[in-house]
Amino acid sequence: MSNSPHDKVLDENLKWTQINEDVIRSMQNPRKAYWISVAVCVSMFFCAILAEIYQYRMGMGTAGLNNPHMWDMYLATFVFWIGMSHAGTLLSAILHIIHAQWRKPIYRFAEAMTTFSLLTAGFFPMIHLGRIWNLYWVLPYVSDRGVWPNFRSPLSWDAFAISTYLSASALFLVIGMIPDMAVLRDHTKGWRAKVYGVLALGWRGDDRQWRNFRKTYMLMACFLIPLAVSVHSIVSSDFSMSINPGWHVTTFPPYFVAGALYSGCAAIMTLFVCLRYFFRMEDYMTLNIMEKTTKLTFAIAGVWNYLLFVEFASVWYGHSVYDKELLIAKATGDYAPVFWTMIFCSTVVPFTMAFQKLRRHMPTMFIVSLFLQLGMYTERWMIVAPTLAMSHNPHQWDILWAPVVQWAIVFGSFGWFGLLFLVFVKVFPSVSMYEVKELTLHQKEEFEEERRMREAGMFMPESATAPPLPGDEHKRPEDRVAGRPGMEGA
Amino acid sequence: MASKHKMLALYDDFEECFKAIKAIRGGAVKGVTVDDLTVLSPVDHHGIDEALGPRPVNVQRFTLLGALFGVTFGFFFLASAQASFLVQPQGGKPVVPLPTNFVLMYEMLIFFAVWTTVLVFPVLSGLFKKRDSLYSEKLTVDHMGVIVEEVDGHNLDAMKDFFKNNKAVEIREEKI
Amino acid sequence: MSFKNIMENFSNYRKDAEMGGHHDYEHRWAMAIDLDVCTGCNACSTACYAENNLAVVGKEKFEKGQGMHWLRVERYWEDNDTREHPENGAMFLPMMCQQCGAATCEPVCPVAATYHTPDGLNAQVYNRCIGSRYCNNNCPFRVRYFNFWSYYESSWPEPLNMQLNPDLSVRDKGVMEKCTFCIQRIRVAKDLARREERKVIDGEFLTACAQACPTGAIVFGDTMNPESQVSKAWAKHQITRGPHTHTKPKDNPELRGYRIFAELNVDPSVMYLERVRETEV
Repeated sequence: MSNSPHDKVLDENLKWTQINEDVIRSMQNPRKAYWISVAVCVSMFFCAILAEIYQYRMGMGTAGLNNPHMWDMYLATFVFWIGMSHAGTLLSAILHIIHAQWRKPIYRFAEAMTTFSLLTAGFFPMIHLGRIWNLYWVLPYVSDRGVWPNFRSPLSWDAFAISTYLSASALFLVIGMIPDMAVLRDHTKGWRAKVYGVLALGWRGDDRQWRNFRKTYMLMACFLIPLAVSVHSIVSSDFSMSINPGWHVTTFPPYFVAGALYSGCAAIMTLFVCLRYFFRMEDYMTLNIMEKTTKLTFAIAGVWNYLLFVEFASVWYGHSVYDKELLIAKATGDYAPVFWTMIFCSTVVPFTMAFQKLRRHMPTMFIVSLFLQLGMYTERWMIVAPTLAMSHNPHQWDILWAPVVQWAIVFGSFGWFGLLFLVFVKVFPSVSMYEVKELTLHQKEEFEEERRMREAGMFMPESATAPPLPGDEHKRPEDRVAGRPGMEGA
Repeated sequence: MASKHKMLALYDDFEECFKAIKAIRGGAVKGVTVDDLTVLSPVDHHGIDEALGPRPVNVQRFTLLGALFGVTFGFFFLASAQASFLVQPQGGKPVVPLPTNFVLMYEMLIFFAVWTTVLVFPVLSGLFKKRDSLYSEKLTVDHMGVIVEEVDGHNLDAMKDFFKNNKAVEIREEKI
Repeated sequence: MSFKNIMENFSNYRKDAEMGGHHDYEHRWAMAIDLDVCTGCNACSTACYAENNLAVVGKEKFEKGQGMHWLRVERYWEDNDTREHPENGAMFLPMMCQQCGAATCEPVCPVAATYHTPDGLNAQVYNRCIGSRYCNNNCPFRVRYFNFWSYYESSWPEPLNMQLNPDLSVRDKGVMEKCTFCIQRIRVAKDLARREERKVIDGEFLTACAQACPTGAIVFGDTMNPESQVSKAWAKHQITRGPHTHTKPKDNPELRGYRIFAELNVDPSVMYLERVRETEV
């Protein structure tokens, strides 16, 4: 498959001791920038806590909600974070079962992103409740009054789906880290060695463990894929199971799943550039991997845009008065600036990813990925708010812009996510060591195979003779003392 | 009766390691069969399975059981909860609405399948044990190791020689 | 036990509204509102505030759309009214919970705080509500009201708290509430009828809005009783319960009855009688 230099994901001659050292180095000695980021995240989160305390004491009126607008940014943000969690599953589970080797250096942080964005998303259905202290009533526990939650409600499906997804993806992350925990147990000292010793569960890497590990990991991947699809379908049911124009849309489940993968891939691109830059992971998070991720994102952007325009088209040709008026109002009414921002960010901007030069230019891709996420956030908000603003009953039409309490909580959720992620990268390896080792082996074997075939005169891949692409030269640590290689791009 | 020994041979060249295993499988050392061998490795190398020959994996059976349990439990749990909660019918919908219950049955299928897999995995793969005293930290860097679980005293030297001749970089042993 | 229950009654539990449902109705409270008679005086809304302990939220919050008027009088105007004073053409529509037979608000509540009573009402259990507000999002009429604040703290300053109706609770923040068709009055009438071993007589009691309406535009009653005034009104305008059908003849100007959003198949319990327009007279 990947047998031309073009497809080379990383340097196959990377020494395995080097891999261990590089990853362990990335986990130690946080620099000043790290502590500044932590401080920023903590203060952002603190804003959200203040806002939530105020909202808790005073009631949901502080969030500026009113009769038609019973939900607003909270639900949009919920969908946004749930969506972001899907890319980790895509990258680790789907690419795992199709044996895409290039996922290996980057899937770990993508999975961590999945778990943490779920932990963030989980807050939003909770804090938007009027009586959050009775939250446990959505759980199906045996009560002597014989009262059960309502299993017909998409909101109670959410509770099931999110808890299943959160536990499954966290387990997937933990199980996948066991061999790395063993590495860290053996090569760190002090509290780290103790903690990793517990988390490694006594892993020694014998053949029985590897066999069962391989099978377990594959089985979990196979269950995570339908689970991820079902989770976002269920989130979409919050809208599509309702009766409102603009919500009651048949294509919502696949549309949401595509949107989830889209925003998630954009988030992976953002974090990819950050990790590559801050942790000097140029040997692992290579430009070739970035390029593959970007191509994947571009493809998903295509799917998402298709589904978006299918939705518009079916409304346009459907002649439902409510839906059509709503669609026109979205594009021309008070919310039009947001609508056109969404169209710009998630339909126009992705075309930058069609150019190889730009795909390999890290600063551009960083900015593009932020644009894509902005686009996807506005898209979620464009689903929630305009429908509530312009539903069936014209007497109850109202335009609402969220006041500061909602913004503070939404803003703080990014701080919370960032905080979790920052703790993660210093406590756990953000690059999977054992799988990078497997990747080098795999590449060696493939190149060997190719060499043998070429010698036997069996085939000559075109790209084998082509000059290496800019950025393909894998620099060793000693080569990159000056400046920040990789950031200057192509 | 002769003493029993346990032996670990470390390899930095994986191909040599596989060759040695295949030789033992072919009966190169008397009294030691391939079933006595445990191979330690830093990565999941397909060569190990080829060298050792078929060894069973049973996780998937438990996963299947978990999935089946999840989906049946899901149905009966939901239906019996709904059927004992008759006082609050809703929206002209049946007491036990199948289309919506399917959604939750599906979630429960996955939930139980994943949890059984995860709970069974440490048991089947023999985790939660103390690593033995022969364990080398090189095994989590770039060395492979072959453990011979049980060597009779009179075979010990033959075994050692075999590993030496087969380019093992380090040999450790202990009495058991 | 519950396993046996499922096995024995499964087919019964699978009946939906179109197959008669699992429950038998005792009553089906309904209304007929004649918009031709309505003057938009808001007496109904005021009566509702008095009867149901509705919070008076004040101008500011009301403007924000956080009012608690279970019964609101909606005003509409013609688009191209060329009269000198177009406001004269205002049309009024008293809008309260339509107590739908297949209510969309009910199945979406995650904790089953809203449900269908054997009287055909959508009941809201305040104590069970956790305030997810999905019900109002799924109500095409948008007639559910959420306690965004602790309104009781400022709504009834002393001695106004003495006028609160003791027959029902005062709601705190975080709870959804809505028109109940004055369920406390229904309860009293049913209890009295049971004690006297008779059926509830039509007109024995009225909802606060119907009682207060100076022009008698609101008729309240039980459609299960064919002799009731409301049944007769429904029959006169050929409006029937159940799913929406498109067979209503439109050529007869005498048939003014319609149910709002009946085409959404929510089976509302309130029939409105179309206003006879000046231009058509």
